[in-house]
Amino acid sequence: MIELSHVWKRFAAPVLRDVSLRVPEGCLYGLIGPGAAGKSVLLKCLAGLLRPERGSVRVFGGAIEGLDEVSLQAVRNRVGMLFQNNALFDHLTVAENIAFPLRRRGMTDEAEIAARVADRLRAVSLPGFEGRLPGGLSGGQKKRVGVARATVTRAEVVLYDEPAAGLDPVTSQKIFDLLRREQQEAGATVIMVSSDIDRLLTVTDRVGMMLDGALIFDGTTAEAQGSLHPVVKQFVHGEVEGPL
Amino acid sequence: MNPEETGLPAQTGRAVLSLASDLGGVAVLAGRLARRLVPPRLDGPELWRNLHRMGVRSLPIVGVTALFTGGIMVIQAGVLIRRFGAEGLLGWGAGFATLREVGPILIALMFSGRVGANNTAELATMTVTEQIDALETLAIDPLSYLILPRVIAMVVMLFVLTVYGDVLALLGAAFMGDALLGVSTATFANGFLETIRVWDMATGLIKSSLFGFVIALSSSHFGLAVTGGAPGVGRAVNASVVASATGIFVCDYVATYLLK
Repeated sequence: MIELSHVWKRFAAPVLRDVSLRVPEGCLYGLIGPGAAGKSVLLKCLAGLLRPERGSVRVFGGAIEGLDEVSLQAVRNRVGMLFQNNALFDHLTVAENIAFPLRRRGMTDEAEIAARVADRLRAVSLPGFEGRLPGGLSGGQKKRVGVARATVTRAEVVLYDEPAAGLDPVTSQKIFDLLRREQQEAGATVIMVSSDIDRLLTVTDRVGMMLDGALIFDGTTAEAQGSLHPVVKQFVHGEVEGPL
Repeated sequence: MNPEETGLPAQTGRAVLSLASDLGGVAVLAGRLARRLVPPRLDGPELWRNLHRMGVRSLPIVGVTALFTGGIMVIQAGVLIRRFGAEGLLGWGAGFATLREVGPILIALMFSGRVGANNTAELATMTVTEQIDALETLAIDPLSYLILPRVIAMVVMLFVLTVYGDVLALLGAAFMGDALLGVSTATFANGFLETIRVWDMATGLIKSSLFGFVIALSSSHFGLAVTGGAPGVGRAVNASVVASATGIFVCDYVATYLLK
């Protein structure tokens, strides 16, 4: 379903270094690592927003790095993404933000759109927020609206960049549980970047850890929790002493 | 080139590279937008929204600027008009200067300050908050959805605002000519109609269309090319306003030479 093969990407310095990764279909994959490890860049490469200098990124069986704009849009129609900064459209209301992907993909039945929007808002515990503008929301509320928009199309591949950042522990756990439930119902393949390791590991099937642009660990959640790799062990268990 | 070098050659080199990068960026953006015109791929509702907010909401500021500009031209020319008894030339002088030069330039500069700067700030904010990336992941082409409607709206509305501003500037000049110099409106109108050709007005409107492209392309380029978060947005707006103003004067020089 998703496969990266020897991917290299650099800006001023290398941010992805020879990353190879395979995420099976229907898997919820957690991507962890310290800041500036290359996690968000990897997600953007998967969404076709960044092109690697070397290596191959395959989504739905085809390499996306060489696609033209039209072919890339066809792939993106099957991908949902939540951004670290939420990326809500400031000039649109909450309801319009959530409905935006539906309308742009040709849905015209306003009753159906309103029902899908209301369903998503209930799922993220924000019923009645339809008419609010993003500027009037707290950071956590914006994050939840972002989650609602990312899940409204029931995409086959969903990429979440810090879906619980800025949320209180209870809402955070609710969001992780919601995303897990959504993923299981839709059978979607999900890659989730999160710094909330404890909660992330309650929902993931597999986990990868990045450090300085390289993927240093790839295995099941249980393997990650029991890993003896000093960096993985320190990071997963939040230990102060260690190589990090 | 070592980015820490501060000598004159290094600074000159960096400035040249930066200029070349921005000119290249604007040219690439223009090319990519042109490809979306055949067949037309743009968002209709976005176009109407931009026509309204860029054009209709600019009417007051352009109107005030134009009225006072017309009046100021007469005040400045009043001494010479009186000294040489050239009241009959007031309509020609005001009309020629307004239609060919002052109207298009001043209105373009006002438009750049109001609409161009706003466009850069909005696009830059959307870029740093990943809204542009979000559009792309939603399989929406940002150039067709966001940029092309803005470019078309800016070119069209600057043209329309120039016509509107020219009319108001001439009215301001006629009013001040009557009030300050005692030149009747009929004399002003005769001087204008007998000497001003359609080409004089067309020259100004061709220039205003060029200025519209300059403002639209530079403001969009700097908005999309922003880096560095919130401080980057400020730098992008600053660069956009400077580049637009410079571009307007360079285009004016070339157009004046070619359309003389």
